[in-house]
Amino acid sequence: MLNVYDLEKKYRLYKLKIFMPYIVAFVSLCVILIVILFVKSSDMFKSNKAQHNQKTIQTQIEQAKTTPKEEVIKKENVEKNETLILTPSLNFMSNIKDSPSEVRFQRVINKEQRKKSTEQEEIEQEEAKQELEPVIIEEIELDKSHPLKIQRQNTQDDLSLVLERFSKNNNPALSLFIAKKYYEMQNYHQSYNYALITNRINDNIEASWIVFAKSLVKLGRRDEAIKTLKSYFEYSKSTQAKTLLEEIERGKFR
Amino acid sequence: MKNNIFENSKDVFLDSVDSKDYVQLDRVSSIYQSLKSSVKKPLKMVLLYGKPGTGKSMFLNKLYYDLSASQKVIIYQTPILDESEFFKSLAQDIFDIEHKGELNFTQFMNIVKNNSVEDLEVPLVLLDEAQLYSDVMMEKIRLLSDTRSVKFVITLHKTNKEDLIAKEHFKTRIWETIELGNALGNELKIYIQKKLIKAGCYDTANMFSQSSVNLIYKLTKGNYRETNKLLYTLFDIYSWYIQNSPNSIKTDEVSKKIIEMSAIHTGLIDA
Repeated sequence: MLNVYDLEKKYRLYKLKIFMPYIVAFVSLCVILIVILFVKSSDMFKSNKAQHNQKTIQTQIEQAKTTPKEEVIKKENVEKNETLILTPSLNFMSNIKDSPSEVRFQRVINKEQRKKSTEQEEIEQEEAKQELEPVIIEEIELDKSHPLKIQRQNTQDDLSLVLERFSKNNNPALSLFIAKKYYEMQNYHQSYNYALITNRINDNIEASWIVFAKSLVKLGRRDEAIKTLKSYFEYSKSTQAKTLLEEIERGKFR
Repeated sequence: MKNNIFENSKDVFLDSVDSKDYVQLDRVSSIYQSLKSSVKKPLKMVLLYGKPGTGKSMFLNKLYYDLSASQKVIIYQTPILDESEFFKSLAQDIFDIEHKGELNFTQFMNIVKNNSVEDLEVPLVLLDEAQLYSDVMMEKIRLLSDTRSVKFVITLHKTNKEDLIAKEHFKTRIWETIELGNALGNELKIYIQKKLIKAGCYDTANMFSQSSVNLIYKLTKGNYRETNKLLYTLFDIYSWYIQNSPNSIKTDEVSKKIIEMSAIHTGLIDA
């Protein structure tokens, strides 16, 4: 006797068996696709995250870039007050006097020692600072326990270098510098000459007229010095010129 | 009444070798004519071989049905394996001699020699399922055919073993060999419809489209016996549905589902 119910059941199982490879293949394909999509999306997420991190890093770097700048600026501002202004030493002039041969010597300077420099030197430096391009070295904050040692070589080459530079560009600041140095070296003829050169290049430099007048006094040409200062005072109303004029006239400066 | 159609259609495909159920197909008809003409030739033996279900037995029955009116034809559809019984049956059927007691080959050869009539047509013995006979028996059948007093038409299953038998025993003696095969795709549809129309089942004959026949062919590979079994089950299932759940099936075309259910039931599909 034919059992159709049983046969239908067998038929359904058979169909399932037939379609099972296709179902499995389809499901496998779906799973593979899902896995691929998941992997891709996770990669994208990672890349986004990486980009985000990169952006963050970049921002941090930028911040870091700006921060040190600010810090440096701040540091510079802090240190500006303590900026060490180095100017060519003129001691070599006296050494030239004492020993004509080229002598090299070293001087250890620290910030404290520099403060103890003589008033005359400071005045000279200030004067030179007005005329010359100052050489500024940013100084790292010094540890007092380990004072910074700056070695400077003062030689006659320094002056010759300035002379060489002046011959190239005829800068009145350089000629004034040379005049002052010669004056310090008591080489009044040269100081007179370079002060005169400076005045010819630029006749509005007060310091140059002062050096010029002082050199004249030292060379024994007191009247010329007074005349020059008077003329200059009338023209510029310089207090410094007036003060020097009075000193010469009173005989304080000779 | 509709379920009667399916019941009738079911009966058409009962596995039988009745010559009345023989379906005339072009290719099969030409083979049959070839067999028929071979029988008329002065041959000692004709070998009809093919795979199971290809219609060998039907051919043999058809031949018996067609020739029995004009000549002496004896058919043994079931092999008689006992030698004495076999020769006693032959003596009885060919020469109407009833032998009592044991009848061996020598005694039977004497009967043949004494009763043969040269003018009359040689009696034809049709042996179905000849592969079941022993080698010794087949050798005696060969010797018997050599006397030209009896002509044999034998059928063999085409297997490696039967091929070997044919090679060993009939290689030099068989003058005619005819091979039967399964139906081709287009033949199967004609076979099914002719069988149904022959039985008056026109409605069910029209239910078979080419696609449904193709599926049947795919399942049965055109084997007549397998096709008969499948269609018998198919109409049995249809009959059940008509009786129990007529709305769940369509009767305008054979359902693929029911074909496959039939195949599951008959073992053509391993569910």
